[in-house]
Amino acid sequence: MSVAGSARAAPTVELELRERLIPLFGADIAIERLALLAGGASKEAWALDLRTPQGKRELLVRRAGGGVIHKETLSLEDEHRLLEVAFAAGVRVPKPFGYLGEIAGRPAFVSERVSGETIGRRIVQRPDLADARAVLPTQMAEELAKIHAIPAERVPFLGGSGARDVLGRLTEEVDRLGDAHPAIELGLSWATRQAPENSETVVLHGDLRVGNLAVNATGLGHVLDWEFGHRGDPAEDVAWPLVRAWRFGVDELHLGGIGEVEPYLERYNVLTGRHITLASLGYWEIVGNLKWAIGALTQSRRHLSGQQRSVELAVLGRLAAEMEFELLHLLERAG
Amino acid sequence: MQDRPHAAELAQAVREFIETEVLPGIDDPRLRFRTLVAANGLGILEREIALGAPLVRREAGSLARLLGHADPLPDDLDELRRLASDLNRELALRIRADDTPEGTLAHLLATVADKLRVASPRYLERYR
Repeated sequence: MSVAGSARAAPTVELELRERLIPLFGADIAIERLALLAGGASKEAWALDLRTPQGKRELLVRRAGGGVIHKETLSLEDEHRLLEVAFAAGVRVPKPFGYLGEIAGRPAFVSERVSGETIGRRIVQRPDLADARAVLPTQMAEELAKIHAIPAERVPFLGGSGARDVLGRLTEEVDRLGDAHPAIELGLSWATRQAPENSETVVLHGDLRVGNLAVNATGLGHVLDWEFGHRGDPAEDVAWPLVRAWRFGVDELHLGGIGEVEPYLERYNVLTGRHITLASLGYWEIVGNLKWAIGALTQSRRHLSGQQRSVELAVLGRLAAEMEFELLHLLERAG
Repeated sequence: MQDRPHAAELAQAVREFIETEVLPGIDDPRLRFRTLVAANGLGILEREIALGAPLVRREAGSLARLLGHADPLPDDLDELRRLASDLNRELALRIRADDTPEGTLAHLLATVADKLRVASPRYLERYR
């Protein structure tokens, strides 16, 4: 992909987009800027500046890429629906404006374009975000509490359920890799033996962590990247930002490289009336490392199979060893 | 026999070119990130050329002991790799069948640390 060439929209994209925006914003609109921010085989993000009678609107268009969509991710239509439901529930998400159907042959939706730092490594390091880091843990707990209160019947397309469902899916993914990974097998075996029975099932974000939040000087601006939304044990979501890979090098701060776990968990439990324990988070942190180790290996197979040639995906196959190492140490400690 | 630069030296030359001549001219953050990833990939390749053979020998030896195989290890590197791959499959199947050999965790901690010596030595050094 040439950077200069990709920055401008193909004329058909711009034409069709304008047509689909009319029912949402009226006929008296003009596209002032349409630029591709990130293009991948699975999904594109376009910055759209739209002139309307009410003034200029800064929008974001998410559109499917040319490649195969991950099996486990939501369709763009469902992701948009989940955004709408989360927005209505008071979760801080970029305001969704509408599902657009197919734009030049690929499904897309439009939302508010929000500002803020989204790069994990910068969120944990930037000196001017120190005040934000101080309040982020409780703010993350607050957003999770709101998400987990979303009535499941409003998002009936979400799949999933408890730990055994997660482990079954992970085992299937391991079997598709084509070679053996004994460290992962050891983790799956432990997690299966220790799996909680009859846990509650709620709506989960599925990927809420530093790196999927827009953060500004005062703290959490918006919760982004809803494509992994599913139903499951609330502790799965609460434990996910604890995973070492999401501490972005600030490993001593267990919660996302920004804070301690206890105040975050306490805030979550107070808001929800749940009694999630540190032990339960420990279980799901192990499962989280399994998920990301297998995820990294699976991503590299997307490159190797030719589904999406990418040096980034290729190298991920080797970095899975980092998650395996962490997994083994957590297993050693768990006994 | 190929002339110098050897494989590792060639990978190093390309990595240094990317780091010193290509990276400073890239402003686009996403392209910059992918270029860093590419340079990192070459670093992995350099370390694998230097360390790969002794590490795969160590892994195969440790797996054979763990699984109770007494056959001597092959000298040929490709055969050794195939053996390590087969033994890893055998170990994975035993773990899945709830028949995990005694000493598996210690074996895996050492083996995965060896993988990191090639793939991510800084992660290994920093790990606490």
